This record gives sequence, C-alpha cells and structure tokens, in this order.
Amino acid sequence: MFVARSIAADHKDLIHDVSYDFHGRRMATCSSDQSVKVWDKSESGEWHCTASWKTHSGSVWRVTWAHPEFGQVLASCSFDRTAAVWEEIVGESNDKQRGQSHWIKRTTLVDSRTSVTDVKFAPKHMGLMLTTCSADGVVRVYEAPDVMNLSQWSLQHEISCKLNCSCISWNPSSSRAHPPMIAVGSDDSNVMYGGKVQIYEYNENTRSTLMTVTDAVHDIAFSPNLGRSFHVLAIATKDVRIFKLVPLRKESSSTGPTKFEVQIVAQFDNHNSQVWRVSWNITSTLLASSGDDGCVRLWKANYMDNWKCTGILKGDGSPVNGSSGQPGAMNTMVGSTAAPSAGWPDADPPSLVYIQYYTHPSTVHQHSVYIQYYTI
Amino acid sequence: MSGSKPDILWSPHHADRYVICDSELGLYRIGPVGCSETKAGALPLSVETAATLLAINSDTPYMKCVAWYPKHEPECLLAVGQANGRVVLTSLGQSHNSKCKELMGKEFVPKHARQCNTLAWNPVDSNWLAAGLDKHRADFSVLIWDISSKFSPEASVAAEKIRLSSGDTDSGLVVTKPLYELGQNDACLSLCWLPRDQKLLLAGMHRNLAIFDLRNTSQKTFVNTKAIQGVTVDPHFPDRVASFFEGQVAIWDLRKFEKPVLTLTEQPKPLTKVAWCPTRMGLLATLTRDSNIIRLYDMQHTPTPIGDETEPTIIERSVQPSNSLIGSFAWHPTSQNRMVVVSAANRVMTDFTVFERISLAWSSTTSLMWACGRHLYECAEGVGGEGTVEKDIATKMRQRAQSRYGHDTVQVWKNHLLAGGDDPQLKSLWYTLFFMKQYTEDVEQKQQGSKQALVYSGIKNIVKSSSGTTENRRCWSGSDRQTDVPRFHSEERSLALRLCGWINRGPDINVEPFLRSLEGEGEWERAAAVALFNLDIRRAIQILNKGASAERGDLNLNVVAMALSGYTDEKSSLWREMCSSLRLQLKNPYLCVMFAFLTSEPGTYDGVLYESSVAVTDRVAFACMFLNDSQLPRYMEKLTSEMKEVGNLEGILLTGLTKDGVDLMESYVDRTGDVQTASFCMLKGSPGEVVKDPRVQCWIENYRNLLDAWRFWHKRAEFDIHRSKLDPSSKPLAQVFVSCNFCGKSISYSCSAMPHQGRGFSQYGVSGSPTKSKVTSCPGCRKPLPRCALCLMNMGTPVSNCPGTGHGTGKSDEKVDLTRENKLAQFNNWFTWCHNCRHGGHAGHILSWFRDHTECPVSACTCKCMQLDTTGNLVPSDSH
Repeated sequence: MFVARSIAADHKDLIHDVSYDFHGRRMATCSSDQSVKVWDKSESGEWHCTASWKTHSGSVWRVTWAHPEFGQVLASCSFDRTAAVWEEIVGESNDKQRGQSHWIKRTTLVDSRTSVTDVKFAPKHMGLMLTTCSADGVVRVYEAPDVMNLSQWSLQHEISCKLNCSCISWNPSSSRAHPPMIAVGSDDSNVMYGGKVQIYEYNENTRSTLMTVTDAVHDIAFSPNLGRSFHVLAIATKDVRIFKLVPLRKESSSTGPTKFEVQIVAQFDNHNSQVWRVSWNITSTLLASSGDDGCVRLWKANYMDNWKCTGILKGDGSPVNGSSGQPGAMNTMVGSTAAPSAGWPDADPPSLVYIQYYTHPSTVHQHSVYIQYYTI
Repeated sequence: MSGSKPDILWSPHHADRYVICDSELGLYRIGPVGCSETKAGALPLSVETAATLLAINSDTPYMKCVAWYPKHEPECLLAVGQANGRVVLTSLGQSHNSKCKELMGKEFVPKHARQCNTLAWNPVDSNWLAAGLDKHRADFSVLIWDISSKFSPEASVAAEKIRLSSGDTDSGLVVTKPLYELGQNDACLSLCWLPRDQKLLLAGMHRNLAIFDLRNTSQKTFVNTKAIQGVTVDPHFPDRVASFFEGQVAIWDLRKFEKPVLTLTEQPKPLTKVAWCPTRMGLLATLTRDSNIIRLYDMQHTPTPIGDETEPTIIERSVQPSNSLIGSFAWHPTSQNRMVVVSAANRVMTDFTVFERISLAWSSTTSLMWACGRHLYECAEGVGGEGTVEKDIATKMRQRAQSRYGHDTVQVWKNHLLAGGDDPQLKSLWYTLFFMKQYTEDVEQKQQGSKQALVYSGIKNIVKSSSGTTENRRCWSGSDRQTDVPRFHSEERSLALRLCGWINRGPDINVEPFLRSLEGEGEWERAAAVALFNLDIRRAIQILNKGASAERGDLNLNVVAMALSGYTDEKSSLWREMCSSLRLQLKNPYLCVMFAFLTSEPGTYDGVLYESSVAVTDRVAFACMFLNDSQLPRYMEKLTSEMKEVGNLEGILLTGLTKDGVDLMESYVDRTGDVQTASFCMLKGSPGEVVKDPRVQCWIENYRNLLDAWRFWHKRAEFDIHRSKLDPSSKPLAQVFVSCNFCGKSISYSCSAMPHQGRGFSQYGVSGSPTKSKVTSCPGCRKPLPRCALCLMNMGTPVSNCPGTGHGTGKSDEKVDLTRENKLAQFNNWFTWCHNCRHGGHAGHILSWFRDHTECPVSACTCKCMQLDTTGNLVPSDSH
C-alpha cells in the first residue's frame, strides 16, 4: 500500500526543511514559526520531539546536522539574515529524564545583509566547516579552527555569485583524487542571466557554470560519491535533472582546476511544474523529488543508467491515482562541457547533442509497487 | 463583467457552487468525476472533479460587476452593477420563496448614469449594498442602497428610462433613493466593508483610499495613493488590506494607515485581480493581464504591533493551473488552498489546488521523511510482498553485512550464498577467488613461492607467460576416430583451467568431478557442453539423456542428444549444414555453442568464444584448450577490455587482483555502488599492491562509513580486523595511555620495561610468579593504583560480579576464565573513569551505580557522567 505514516509535527507554521543526522536516528525540522525541533527515534521506531526552541526572529529556511564526530551540532539559517550553530548540552539539567534535551546557541553568523537561504556543513574530512548562501548572491565559507570550540568561526571565503542564491551542496566525496567542490543554485527566474548552477572548486577557487540550466533552481544535491569515479548532481528546477560530472584524467604534472565532462543523464518533467526539492539516498541509487504538483516522486536507475520513476506519493501520503503517474517522453541529452579553467570565458556555450528516447510506460507501472509503505 | 473578461464568484454558502459571469451569468456545481449527479454534460475541471451547469441567466446586459448576497436566505441572490450605474438584483436557479420573489428584479438607480465599478454587500447588515460609481461632476460616487426599501415615488420621474433599460421590469421595483451618499466629486473604483465595524466602508477613490464611517458621514479617513484598485481585507487579519495599481500590490495596516506596510515586487503587466486565501493565513494570490500564471505571496508573519523593524517574510511563488491564459480565479471558501480558474477565452475552467512545497530527506537506512505544510510523513522501503522487484543496493548491502557476507575466509565461494545466492556475477567472482586461494595454499605446501603471485594476476597474465605449449590431436573418447581438432597443453593453461573450475588439483585434466557437480545442480546443458569440449560425445549424450529424464527435465534434451549422436566430420554433410543453420534457433546458449563447436573449422571458434550468454569461465577455459599461443592472448585481451568496459565481475578471472582488476572493479562500482563487494574482493588477494591503490582505499573507507552510518559498529570492527590481516598499515595505534600519579609512567604492563609482563592490563587477579609486582600497584614504582569510587579497593583488585545482576558466577568460575591465556578478564574488573570529572572505579560497580543514579558516586561531585555523550547512548543496530 502506498500509505506513509504521519507524524504529529506540532509546528505552528510551514515546515521548510527536514534533516536526518548521520545515523538516521535523529531528525531536525525548521519552520516559519521561527523554531527548530529535534526528534529522536525510539527503538520501536517512533519519533519523539526531544527539543523545540525559538532559533531566529524570522522564518527558518534550512537546518542541517554536523557529523557526530564534532558532537551533536546543528546549523540553521533564516530570513532574519543570520545563520546559527547550535550544540546539544547534556548533564546540565534534569531534562534528560523528561525526555528533553537542551540546545544552546554557539554562534550567530551575521555577515549576510539579506536572508540566508541555505546552510551546509562541509564533508567531515575537511574539518568543521560551514557554508552559507544568501539572497544577495554571496556564498560564505566559515571554519571552526578548533573543533572543540564551536563559538569561534572565521570567515574563510566570500564568493560573489552575482545572482540570488537559493541552495548549496558540497560534494561529499572524501577521495583525495577529487577536489572539494561546492555547487550553488540560484532561483532567479530570468533566463537571460544565463546559468543558474555554479560549481566552485574549493581549493582552486575557480568556478564553472552549468549553462544548460537557465531556469530558476530551487534545490541542488551532489550524490554520495561512494567511491565512484565521477560525481552526480541532481537539480530541482522546472524539471528534475541529473547531471554526471566525469573528471578528465589530467597529467600528473599539470596543476590547476580539474576539468569535467558534464553529461546530463536524465531530465524529467513529470511534476508538470516547478520542482522544489531533491534528495539522494545513502548509496545515491535512489533520488526523491518534490514538486508544485504536491507529489513526491522516487527515481531509480537500472543497470544501463536509465533513470525511471519507481514511485509516486501525494504530499499527504495518500496514493496517486494511476494515470498521472505515467512518465511520458523524456528528453535526454548527452553533452560535454568542460569546467572552464580560470582562463575560460564563462559565457562559452557548450555544444550539445540531443538524443531523444522514450521510456516504456508499462515498465514504470510495474515498478510503481517498488516501495511499500507502512500503514498505521 | 465587460463582455469578454470573465469573473468567478464562489457561493458564500454552498461549497460546491460558483457563478461565472461574462456576458451572462452561469451557475455551476462542482463534483467528483463519474458521480451520477455530474455525469450528464459535465465539464471536466481536473482529474478528479467536474462541473455541471445548473442555470444560466442572461437577463442583465451590460454587466460591469457582480456581488453575491452573503446571507443564507435567499440563496443565489446576486446584485449586478451595470454600465449605466444601475444595480439590479437577480437570481440564478429556482428559488421560489416569497422573500426572493419580492426582491427579484429590483433596481437601484443613481441620479446620473455612469458606469458602476464595484459592489459590496455589508456582511452584517445584509440589506445594505454599497455601489461604487464613476465620477459625474459633483455627484456622489459611493451609494449605499437598502434593498428592503420600498418603491419611492420620486423615482417615477425616471420611469421612462427604466423601461428602456429592461423591458419587463416592473417600475414598482425601482429604488432611486440611496440610504447614504458618499464620495462627492470623486470616482470610486473599489469597495469593501471592514469587518472591524459594520459601519465602516473602505473605498478606493480616484486618488486615495478612504474609510467612510456611516455613523458620521461627514468624517472620512483617507490616504493619498495610486494603489486604489481591488481593495480587499485579509479574512484572517481584519486590519490588513491589499490594493493594487498597475503591476504593484500595496499591503496596508489600517492601524497605521499613513503608508503601505509593504509593497510587493512589481510585476511587468497590470494586475487584474488580487485575492486573499480564505483558508490560509496571509496567502495572497495575484493575477496579471494576459498571463497563465498566478503569483502567490505567502506572508508568514503579521507585522508585530510593537513597531520593531522586522518585516514580514514573504515567500513568493507562481503556479500555473493550466496552459491557457487566465481570465480570473476564485479561492474555494472552505477547501484548503483550492481555487477555480477560468480561462480568458472560451470559458475553460480548471479546478486547481495550490500544494504546499514539500521538503524531503532520506535517512541512512533508506526511509524517506518529508514535510508538507505543517505535517511530517515518513515511509520506509517495503519489506517482502513484492519479491520480483530488485531491492536497492543500499538495502542489499545492509542485509549482506548482517549475514556476514565477505567474512567466510575458508570456503570463500560460500560468500556468494551469503550475498543471497542470486547474482551470477558474484557467484563467479567468489568461485574465482576461492580457486585462487586454493591454488595458493597448494603451492605453499609444495614450497614453490614463484607461482603464488602469478595466480592473483589473472588468467590474462598467466597465459601470457605460457611457454612450452604442446599440441596434440586426440581421439574422440569412446571411438578411435582421429579428430582434426588440435588441443593445446601447458602448465599455465592447466592452471587457467583450474581457476575456471573445470579441473581439480593434480596433473591430469579430468573434468569428471566438475561434470558431476554440474549435474548435481541440474545444469545439464552446461555439463553436456563441457563434456563435448573435452571431446567426449558419449558423456555429453549421456548427460543430456539424464537431464531429459530428470524431474522436471526438458524432454527436448533427448532430441538434442539425438542430433549430437549423428555428428560427422564430413565437411559437406547434410548434418553439418543443418546444424550450422538450425543451431541459432536453440534458446539455450550452451546447446547453441555445442553445435557451433562441432561445425566450426579448427582454430576458428568465434561462435563459441563470442557467445556472450555463456559464462566467462567456460569461454576462457574453452579458449585455453583450443586457441593457439598467438590467438589466445589476443582473445584474452579483447575479452578483458570488454569486461572492464561493462564492469562485469566475471572478468576478475581474467584480470585477477591487479591494477586491471581494480579498473574493472571501478566500473563495477561506478555502475552499482556496491563498495562492499569491491572492498572484500580486493582484500582477498595476496598481501600487497592493490590494497594500496587509492581507489581501493576509497572503497574501503566508503564501506566503513556506510557501516558506521547504519550503526553496524560490530560489523565495522570485524571488517577492520579482517582488513588488518592484509593491510597491516591500517592498524590503529593504542588509543589511551594511563600514567601513574606518582611516577608518571604508563601503568600498562605491555608498555612497561619490566620483563615478564607483556600480557596486558587485563591479567589482574592471576596469582603469578613472586617476581611479578602486585596487580594493584603501578608496574613502574609499585605504588598502589587509585581506589574504586564505590568499593574503595585499589584498582586492580579482582571483584566479584556487581551485586544485583544475577549473573554472579562466583570466584572459582572467574579463576577458570582468567587462567586461560589471551582471555580478557571480565569486563566488570576493568578500570573505568569519567573523562569529565575523572572519578572512576571498576566498570561493573560504576555501571550498576548508574543504573539507579544520574550523578557521580563521589561525594559532592554533581557530574552526570553517563549522560555526557549522545553517541554513546546509541545502540549498535547489529548487536545480538
């Protein structure tokens, strides 16, 4: 049955983000009611809210967990132009007995002059680093030089993207062969402003722009690399897009930014509207997306790297009546653009080859029972 | 409204009815698709809903604006403002009660004819109807009519005009005397009653917004602005009003009316409608001319009354109900975020719901959580039931980790069973690794080190080093006929056959055990093919017969056997001709290659070698028997690159655990994400090079990270132990050093310089030789160790099990345990302490203390030692 179970969230306004911790046993939610809630999963699988506190003086857009090796640490960002770092404190009061934990603010990052739209911790191997992006188009990278002291953060980099930023994603790959990368999306809806996805190589401080995405981008997610030789990037724009970034092997002598061959592996307009969020599972073999059609869709690739829809759910967890679940024709294009090195002009449009193919609706139908949901 | 431009009004009381007005009024009822009431002539509005036309009213021409009577009775009473300024009451449907009859057709006529721009019923005193008119010299532009007022004689003057406008109107129903006249010498473009007080009317005048107070008509509050169109009050916030001008929307707070509290971003085209959502706080929908999108502004916070600087958060989004240009829209009065949209042309209607934006996240254990509006939903990957659909690799790896996949280091091939036993590639891989290991062990017994490295370098490299190949032509066994098939032999080729699993150890090429095992597994066709390749037609036929007679056997195998028995090496025989053409129709690849072999010329076996559905092991073994020294490496090279290209694990047989093998594994990981198999496979090889490959290290790290994320910490620890056997560099250093308070030296026995005591900390309680220092003292200075906070004995004293646990076994058992070499002392005796307050004691005592207490057992210490670490409270999910 396609029934998801509902959890009484008890937020007083829209929930903007939900985030799991590393182990999937804790969850944080944030809302326009200016609060963040932390949830713990009991052994029986029930979620219990163990903390709820006012974090900002505006809508809280995003909340995210640091790796547990840095402690129980959350970061949040808000319309109030700040981002904040929170740490759970235990043993100070009797809260634990009441099933409540206590979170204190370790720092407030006040550099932005506009709404802070996204906040993300860098992958663990880079140390304790935090990135924010804001509506005025600035990406900021902070670092806590002493991981034991969460109240001191220094602003390491300030990158101007020139377009209002809506989302960021770190490449989670810990391989030394892969340079740290940040992808930034902009939800500016003016297609004339060109590429809405920018990718920064952190060390080189160079950027490349995915020119193929000119529509507003609402969410962006690098997939967990899991030892693969390439990177995969999912983008929520007017459709769901999946890009593959294949590093071109460079001669050992040459330094400078890595060049990538960028391929688009899938493009789905099944949401029939703006796509709002995308999220990868831990092995990056399943992608979930949500759109303005009020549906959650699940995507999975077969062994030929053909992505297909394997499940659709309405936002309220109820099943979707058959017909709308059929993906129609989809466009896939194989293109190649190199991540421009410092010398390359950003506006250099890539040459693209379009290959059109069709998914067979019947296969999708068969797959739509792939995920089964618990009924409560 | 004016001719082409339609508008929609929802019934104030019937949630399923609405009126569309363009040149006429049409009343519709909305219902689910396929419902009996809506079946005939229903217009589809969405996938689930359709509308039925209930009534049409075309009595009132020159409509400029319409307003629906707000009270329950009479239902379907509408006021229509006309181009000449008259307001006519009309109705739709069949409302026959007297009150309605009385009102129907009643007209309210202004002194001077000019366009009526807007109408508004007073929501409380529902007899009052406000009409906003264009300017006419010094005349009033806001007229408030009382619909219950009787015919006024003064109106007879205008009776002539009335007859012109609508022929059947009874002149007795014409009212010319308004209750109130407001807005002298001005024009009125929009009106709304304020819910704060029934006597307050907000009007968008020519150049200002004005609030008229009917209790004192001489008084009005006003503010000069251009944004005077479409004034509308937020139903959830009675002091908040929206109005617009061109592409700009202004939001007003009536408590500080001097200027708009905010203006929304200007839209490129002029606005035509602005409406607050009745079901959701602070949601404003706007529509511009010639557009197919509706723009939504979600105002998250009411401005705080204390005038602090915080501006409300506005989330802007646009929705596109359909592809056609939108004429107008109307929010459903009760359904959440629902609206009906009518197209600018042809009156195409759409039922549309604005969905909340959903944010979502996957957990490490593949359950999906999403937030929709104010609610959270979770769903996990289904268990059981579907069967046919392949599970995701994340789930597979989790299950395999739990079944100890990869950890069988003796019967290596069994690992494919631990992985589920349903993946032919994994089966081939683990058998290959098993044969490699078996061979290595044999070689070790014979003390021949040289071949050991070779076996892990794969058949491709093994046959390359081949030398001393002999060629012979054997007879078909069981007949004395000479074959013209040359077969090649060498030590390396024999080794290759062994790795393929065709032959066992030993110098002879004897495939009989292999055939029997294939028979045992019911792989008749494959067994027959192997027998045939070993030039034993009789055995092949025998196998096929056996297969046909076996339970659920395929009787067609007998037919194949029959065909086989007719084999002739005559080049131009009919048999040959038929076999080579008909073999392609055989579905089983092994049957197919059997005839391909029999009908091909010596040395050209492409029909066998490139039949991709035949297992790689069999093709490689075949090649090692029948290809000469120049053909063989070329074939191997080609097959290897093919395997590498697609990441087929069967190719590990060819590449071995070399750099080539890592390349192949890389494309396997790229394709599947299965770092688990990749890690275990690469750790099976000879100690050395491949493990140092950064890619292999990366897979191992990623796999360990997965196990950690799943809280399979025991599995991760086991994996690390497994790994350190092959990769000693991965061993972590000792984590903790404890030094003596007195001498500052480490109290660990293994670290001390003293002889005899390299057995570790855990050996307390063993009464050793007299030269050994007491276990309760520092090995360096022989001063006593600290005392346990609970039993107040010096640490190192063996203790009985903590009280109250029921596991007490008594001292004698303990002794027995402890005297065993390499066995750890019971955990209860371990020295433990809180790293925060640095009080400690015997682990058993401390644990039992904290079962009932939260604070440290040391007096006056309030440290909550056991609650300090959240991760420590997480339970590994793989403990049993």
